Amino acid sequence: MVADSRDARTVRTAGRLNEPRPARVESNFDGTPWQVNHQPVAVLREEWRVLDRWWTEEPVVRRYFEVVLETGENTVVFHDGAGGRWFTQRGA
Amino acid sequence: MIACLSIPGFELKAALRARPSLALRPAALSPEPVGEPLLGPVTAAAEALGVQPRMRLGEALATCPQLVLVEPDPAGAELAWEEIVRSLEDAGFAVEPAGLGIAFFETRGVERLYGGLEAALRRALAAAGTQWDARIGAAGRRFAALAAASVAKPGQLLVVRDEEVGRFLAPLPLTLLPLERQRYEELESLGVRRLGQLAGLPGGAVAERLGPDGRRAWGLARGGAAARVRGRRPPAELVESLEFPEAIGNELTLRRALGALVETALARPERRDRFVRKVALAARLVSTGSGGGGSWRRSLTLREPSADADRIRIALAPRLAELPAPVLELRIELVELTEPAGRQLELLAAGAEDRTRLSEGLRQVRASTGSGSVCNVVEVAPWSRIPETRALFVPRDD
Repeated sequence: MVADSRDARTVRTAGRLNEPRPARVESNFDGTPWQVNHQPVAVLREEWRVLDRWWTEEPVVRRYFEVVLETGENTVVFHDGAGGRWFTQRGA
Repeated sequence: MIACLSIPGFELKAALRARPSLALRPAALSPEPVGEPLLGPVTAAAEALGVQPRMRLGEALATCPQLVLVEPDPAGAELAWEEIVRSLEDAGFAVEPAGLGIAFFETRGVERLYGGLEAALRRALAAAGTQWDARIGAAGRRFAALAAASVAKPGQLLVVRDEEVGRFLAPLPLTLLPLERQRYEELESLGVRRLGQLAGLPGGAVAERLGPDGRRAWGLARGGAAARVRGRRPPAELVESLEFPEAIGNELTLRRALGALVETALARPERRDRFVRKVALAARLVSTGSGGGGSWRRSLTLREPSADADRIRIALAPRLAELPAPVLELRIELVELTEPAGRQLELLAAGAEDRTRLSEGLRQVRASTGSGSVCNVVEVAPWSRIPETRALFVPRDD
């Protein structure tokens, strides 16, 4: 079969940069992480909250932590208030 | 012979393809978001219950409370119409489209190919497809062909010979003429309701009473002037579209996405250094809850052909403000390109060597990792507090 030479359509699907990735996090009673992906947390550098899109059916309720692990890796994790799960995220 | 293929209510039929069950129920194309709330085409069931096309929305709902309003799908309708026109062109007809659902073509060149006028018209009807209820009128003059198509039944061919034109047009209603509503009313108040009655009046008197429009209508009522059909040049059509992970309503975000699309479309090798003369911007809209999401489309002819991404982007960007709903997919169509023409070259193009090296490197990466592995990062909402909504990556294959 010969392709229609006049047809030159391309659909590109855009993806999100810095999509959150599920993480295995163990937390203290106050909600701060003490272990991320089986690596103990050495320092809790910063903590902040993001409340957004509360006017939609999918509100964003996140508690972010920037931590330094004992391996020396600097990482950002957050606890998703809506789903109750933990994620790591770059670019936060 | 000039033939006219007509598909009444084409925009409604195109919009109903997504909801075919509505075709048998009282339904109408909902009014445009701006301007007077007048209905578009209506289904036969709606017409049987007293709803007419171009009726006021309030009046229509009072007449028929069960009327279903169908959201227009202009981009889908354009695509479907383009498919029909192409299919006619593939059958050998030089087609002159005159809006969605109406196309003229000359049969003289293909009559021998198909073995006569009727066989050629049957071929055209088959090319349009059976699902659209197309009909064809043919006559020596364009207006007579249009009139014949508008009274023909679905799937019917109606040929009006030159000697029959006067008799054929005489009993038809004045609404076939391109006149303003006040003019119809003026003529009706004078007792003129049929084309034959108008054609029987002296031309000078009609011109004096109704002005140039009336004089033109009088000419049409007598069969119209002999005008040739000019087949269109098939559009080049380079299409690039971008699907978003979620509906985007922010204009600034859309502007950035548009910028990325323009650049990707211009970088397509099929453009072959041709300049863009006409460009269209289309979008698939988010569903508003009352049914399908619908679509949106605006086309633009550039003041002078250009291949400058910034110029095209600046020309198109104001149209984004007209979007009636958040967007799921944004599409750019390079509808018409110029012929490949000479272009003043720079003796030493700035940065040309770096660009060549870079694109060569990217080609190599793509060759080893596959299509879609090289992406552009487009910042769409850098102010967002949600990191994953700040930027998108868009695959590029140029």
